[in-house]
Amino acid sequence: MTNTDYSLNELMVVAAARELRDGDLIFIGVGTAGRAFTLACGIPIAAARLAQETHAPDLAIYWNNLLSPDLQQIPERLTQRYLTTWPTAAQLHNCSDKNDMLSKGRFDVSFDSAPQIDRFGNLNITAIGDYKHPKRRLIGALAQTDHFAYVRRPLILTDLKKRTFVEKVDFITSVGYLDGGTSRVDAGLRPGGPSRVITDKAIFGFDEETKEMTVLSVHASSSIDEVRAEMGFEPRIPAGVPVTAAPTPDEVRLIREVIDPRGILLVA
Amino acid sequence: MKSKLVTLAEAAALIPSGSSLTIGGSIIRRSPVALVRELIRQGKDGFTVLAYPAGFTTDLLAGARAVDRVEAVYEGLFQFGFSYNFRAGVEEGRIDIRDFDEVTQASRFRAAAAGLPFAVTDALLGTGMAEHNPEQVKEISDPFTGRRLHAVPAAESDFTLLHGYTADEYGNVQFPIARDADDLDPVMAKAANRLIVTVEKIVPHSEILKTPNLTYIPHTWVEAIVEVPFGAHPLSCDGYYDEDEEHMAEYQGYARGGDFGAYLDKYVTGPADHAEYLDTALTAARMLGLSVR
Repeated sequence: MTNTDYSLNELMVVAAARELRDGDLIFIGVGTAGRAFTLACGIPIAAARLAQETHAPDLAIYWNNLLSPDLQQIPERLTQRYLTTWPTAAQLHNCSDKNDMLSKGRFDVSFDSAPQIDRFGNLNITAIGDYKHPKRRLIGALAQTDHFAYVRRPLILTDLKKRTFVEKVDFITSVGYLDGGTSRVDAGLRPGGPSRVITDKAIFGFDEETKEMTVLSVHASSSIDEVRAEMGFEPRIPAGVPVTAAPTPDEVRLIREVIDPRGILLVA
Repeated sequence: MKSKLVTLAEAAALIPSGSSLTIGGSIIRRSPVALVRELIRQGKDGFTVLAYPAGFTTDLLAGARAVDRVEAVYEGLFQFGFSYNFRAGVEEGRIDIRDFDEVTQASRFRAAAAGLPFAVTDALLGTGMAEHNPEQVKEISDPFTGRRLHAVPAAESDFTLLHGYTADEYGNVQFPIARDADDLDPVMAKAANRLIVTVEKIVPHSEILKTPNLTYIPHTWVEAIVEVPFGAHPLSCDGYYDEDEEHMAEYQGYARGGDFGAYLDKYVTGPADHAEYLDTALTAARMLGLSVR
């Protein structure tokens, strides 16, 4: 019998955890508050911890600028004081060390999101409209460009919304599969590109040949029609798209009792 | 070794309008805010800012209409929201923005630190940053393999402004044993042409001699050193004080409301110096509340 006692966030945690492998080094950024925190930080941390507790005990986490922080002692607030005093295995001497780890190809997985994501998994966090005279200036690039250039299996984690999933991004901050097909490698980029798009309604991959975003499964709480209605382009929809596998009772127990007993990760 | 100790006003007076400034720290952490306030107080403008993640100091300069160009990896105020002054400057065409990713921008500072003319990167292939900035992102090929790459200019600037923890009068700057290293300050210091460092506290040289391996900026790189307690306020200075959430909310209220001139009057050009700023912005009780020492 399928388990139905789980939240949508717990489903996203489990879906992400299943993409993580033993021995992976994964990068997680710092979110701000509310839903943005849950997507950037909460779900990724819970997924990484769940993978460690189940099939990937040797998975390592680089969170913000902390390598292997003690995740039994996640601070309740992330002001400077708590970040400075949080017990961690390593904090390298300055950020160029983390950058070298990126371009050296040491990271296996990163978690990324953006206000614009297109059919070929390119992301835009820089500007909406014309770059030089933007309708809305966004935040820049950060290391997201580098995640997509250098990390082997970046995961896109976001809510499915029509204004987010656009035919073509206004500005390519982070190169997914560029114009599809072999265009990413033709442009000189290293092999890679986003591996999965995990949303609140469905999970997507990218077609092996065309590199178009392709529906892999639809959550039990949603439907393929609802998924299409929330996208600005038509994804590839293979015949017989399955329902996203539900979390097992044991996975839900681990999330609630072991990983996030204080309820500070999955906040919104 | 000669003393390089100067006042905040003297340090700012070294910097002419129109200079390019590398500004250290990160977003809402340990940036030389008091020095930037003093530049605005002295009426300086026309700056180019080079940063890793830009943040509060760039937004403050943008709010004072004192910055023409920014080269950085991010502009925002983290949990306090958008960088409204900067954003308006870009959207209204007053600020020329040059976006770089973190790996490339760090490489640019390291090239400057090594005295080399450019850095090499493969992070920008296929990106809008390369497409829209042909002046600074030039395609080259690996002379050994023929692989496509980009050359980007070293992050050279006229002045580098950093805020640190303790230093002696000669400019040997040390970090506390536990600190947040989420910035490029040590690389920026090495890359500097004219380096000005503000610190929380000047200590006797004999204190520096006890722990030389904690010196991350040695005296030979430094032109001027300034003692500025709470010199990063309203930002945090790890090991000394937390970010001032109340002040940041007030700041964002002025910036978002389009009434930033009133903020500048109250906190930047109104107070005659840093001491008057602290009197205006803080009470003793609030200082103790922010302190983490």
